[in-house]
Amino acid sequence: MTNATNTPSSATLLDLADIQGGILRTYGDGFPKGRNFYLTVRDARKGRAFVEALLPKITTAARWKDPKRDEPLLRTRNPRVKDIVRAQGEPDYPGRVQLMKPKVTLNIGFTFTGLLALGVPTRTLRGMPDDFIDGMEARAALLGDDPFLDKRDAVWRNSKGDRRVHILLTLYAQQNPDGTACPELKAETDAIVALCKKSRGGVVLLDGVGPDNAQWQDLSAVMRQDGENWWPTNKEHFGLSDGFGDPVFSGQFSGEAEQVRVAGGGKLVYDPKKKTYKWEPLATGEFLLGYPDEAQEIPGAAMPIAFSRNGAFMAYRKLHEAVGTFNRYIDEQAGRYARMFHVPKAEAVETIKAKMVGRWEDGVPLTIAPTYADWQRFRADLDKARAEKNKARLAEIALKFTNFTYASDPAGSKCPVTSHLRRANPRDGLGPTFTADGLSGDGSAIINRRRILRRGLPYGQYDANAPTDDGDHGIIFMAICTNLFRQFEFVQQQWMQYGLDFNAGSDTCPVIGNHPKADEPKMVIPVDPEVGKLPFICDRVPQLVEPRGGDYFFLPSMTALRMIGMGIIDPT
Amino acid sequence: MANIDVSTYFFTAAVPVCNEGVVEHRSLTGAKGVIKSSPIHIVREILETLPTALQSHATEEIGLNSPFSRNLRTHFTRFVILDQPNFNGRDHSNALVNAVMKVDLLAAQPVDQITCPYIFWTIDFDLPDPAGAGEPRRYFEELWGQMEPELRSIFQYCYGFDQVKDAASFATYILRCQIETTMPFHDYWYIPPKLSQISIPGLALIPGIGALMLLGSLIAGFLRWTGWRWAADFVGWSGWTWAPWAGLGVLILGLIIDYYWVMAKGRKPYPASPGADLRNVLKALYLQQVFTRFATAQQRRDRTKWGAEFRTFLTATRPGDLDGPTQSPGVIRSQPGDAA
Repeated sequence: MTNATNTPSSATLLDLADIQGGILRTYGDGFPKGRNFYLTVRDARKGRAFVEALLPKITTAARWKDPKRDEPLLRTRNPRVKDIVRAQGEPDYPGRVQLMKPKVTLNIGFTFTGLLALGVPTRTLRGMPDDFIDGMEARAALLGDDPFLDKRDAVWRNSKGDRRVHILLTLYAQQNPDGTACPELKAETDAIVALCKKSRGGVVLLDGVGPDNAQWQDLSAVMRQDGENWWPTNKEHFGLSDGFGDPVFSGQFSGEAEQVRVAGGGKLVYDPKKKTYKWEPLATGEFLLGYPDEAQEIPGAAMPIAFSRNGAFMAYRKLHEAVGTFNRYIDEQAGRYARMFHVPKAEAVETIKAKMVGRWEDGVPLTIAPTYADWQRFRADLDKARAEKNKARLAEIALKFTNFTYASDPAGSKCPVTSHLRRANPRDGLGPTFTADGLSGDGSAIINRRRILRRGLPYGQYDANAPTDDGDHGIIFMAICTNLFRQFEFVQQQWMQYGLDFNAGSDTCPVIGNHPKADEPKMVIPVDPEVGKLPFICDRVPQLVEPRGGDYFFLPSMTALRMIGMGIIDPT
Repeated sequence: MANIDVSTYFFTAAVPVCNEGVVEHRSLTGAKGVIKSSPIHIVREILETLPTALQSHATEEIGLNSPFSRNLRTHFTRFVILDQPNFNGRDHSNALVNAVMKVDLLAAQPVDQITCPYIFWTIDFDLPDPAGAGEPRRYFEELWGQMEPELRSIFQYCYGFDQVKDAASFATYILRCQIETTMPFHDYWYIPPKLSQISIPGLALIPGIGALMLLGSLIAGFLRWTGWRWAADFVGWSGWTWAPWAGLGVLILGLIIDYYWVMAKGRKPYPASPGADLRNVLKALYLQQVFTRFATAQQRRDRTKWGAEFRTFLTATRPGDLDGPTQSPGVIRSQPGDAA
């Protein structure tokens, strides 16, 4: 349906207080501590009462005021695009501010069996997509999880019968200066435990998390010590910076914030008048049910529409990181690289890591700084801008972290085509054709339908002086989208666990892909053909990341949560 | 006016809800703590917990009757929340035309949006005066007197509702949100309705004259052309060169008059079936039930007493008295005790 004048309508209007908070915003460094709970429902009526009781605690996407929002851009960490907006005094998110930033956020998701256990009508349930109904374990072969099924935490291994995971509660908390979680996290934990107890067996908190069979999954950002104070970083346990370039969709940010963030975060759209490509926000329907998506269709959702609208699906994964193996492997490959290319070992270590990921360890994209020398220049430029407190320059630099395309690098000599970054979001890089000026917008239409919102935090710690693979440390990865099959599963299966789209045969992602020895896993670091040097092949890549459990969840709107709690879903 | 039909007013309104920001409230369903949610969320919760009529076993157990049952003119009412217009996908287009016109099928088409959610409200209510004098203002003022707290809770977040102070201002407020009802639904007649007829000869008269003049002129013209001029002259058509134009004019004029006549007839409200207003319906429902019970009871009595019993029955139930014993609004049955 189009409007009468066929002119573009204004930006998408979202009912922020109806949407769960974790969908629109990354809780990010404001909430560096977290705790996840897995629950099973054994009595539908008590389960509904549990959901009702939780309703007042759920964090929505409504805008809040952060009393501690400090001067951005001049901080020690790399400037981020959102800092530009903040520096200009513009709001990040749309809507009126009435709430204060909470100390702890709480969001809730349900597996398909969870919705069934809570008495959601059959007619609603049958409208759910197959992938969600199956759940993550049934899709293991597709996701590449099958070799690791036995290594999952007990809570996921035993997730069947009366121990089936039905409800996921995700809590994110602010931290104390000493790097511990704020006391409200414990208070909320106690409240959840008490609610389960009150249900008298109706809702049971499942244990079996991690090696010690804990009752919940603790999360924490990787910390950096500064005297007495501990600051959260955006690193994961391999020491690589994460969390750049999340998709930007219509309605997610305020108009001003959207204009800045959309560069590199949205989709590339060809403007026939100006004969160039420009960035525009992705369609809301790629990330929220009930809105038109990139194909100008409403994504398939369960009825009634009020049950699905403003909700989303989420793939939740616990990904273990083999830190010891990673360090040893990089070290070994770097020795060879240093000899081959006559560079210092430290440079080789950084280069190989960057080529695997697509960004240098501090997040600077290879596309912007392809060589070690470029990277050092970039950093020097950044340090200079910081020292001069040159906000305009810092803003310019912040944009470079996300605003880039791959058209000028079809062979991947700057950023390897098979690096993690380029696999996850090939931007303009998969087009069948390139225009005279090197752009390839054709690829964008495919990629626009494969975007996911990435959320999550690292979990566990390891001894930085003696990194090992043992122990419980890694990342809780959450991918939010409206179609798990088309978006999350496609990226995981076709782009991460397979390399044909990148002309890399069966080479999987060097970081999170499966690397069975029999496949002789490798990663090619291409060089510019004109340089006349040989490419470097990282051979026998070991298994670096292993899934340790997870499932598919539906993240309902507040309206749908109320319907579930009250048991009044009318699908007719 | 399409809002009025069968002596009933069919009212439709779309009331815009100011859905900005967050409101804090307590759950209506018993959850402890303050819920922070969007205004429309609370409107839904209020509507979901608004008592429906006692028309099923489950609602009879609850025992709370719909607030609309306090009004003896309301037949039917429904609230709906309109969040956004449903998006039905791209406009259909011809693939060949697209190819020729070089339409970029990857360019997204605009999507309709409304700037806020609306409470969509439909009501059917009886008109004491079939012409609807003073309505629907009178009805809304009446309703405000009977269910002000409920109406306040439903419309509290609507734009401009803070100007509503009393019955008159509520009526003014709702009337500003009114949309004309063009498709009312009402009950069937159990006897053929007395409809205002339209006269077919009357309809045919003026265009018929025009058509005959036109036809006569054409025949005359044809006769002259074939050489049978004498035949045309014989019937006196020879000099009538203005006749075909006059005929055409009268024909068109007649059709225009007919069109407005038919439309004027169509605009007249459909007559109400006898006894179709709510009070008559309630009385009828009541009588039907008490008479069934009466008839059942008489089976066991002596025939000779039937006459006296029936007279007692008539005295007790007062069939002609709509105010007398009758069924309460919003319930599914009359209780046996009501017969007394």
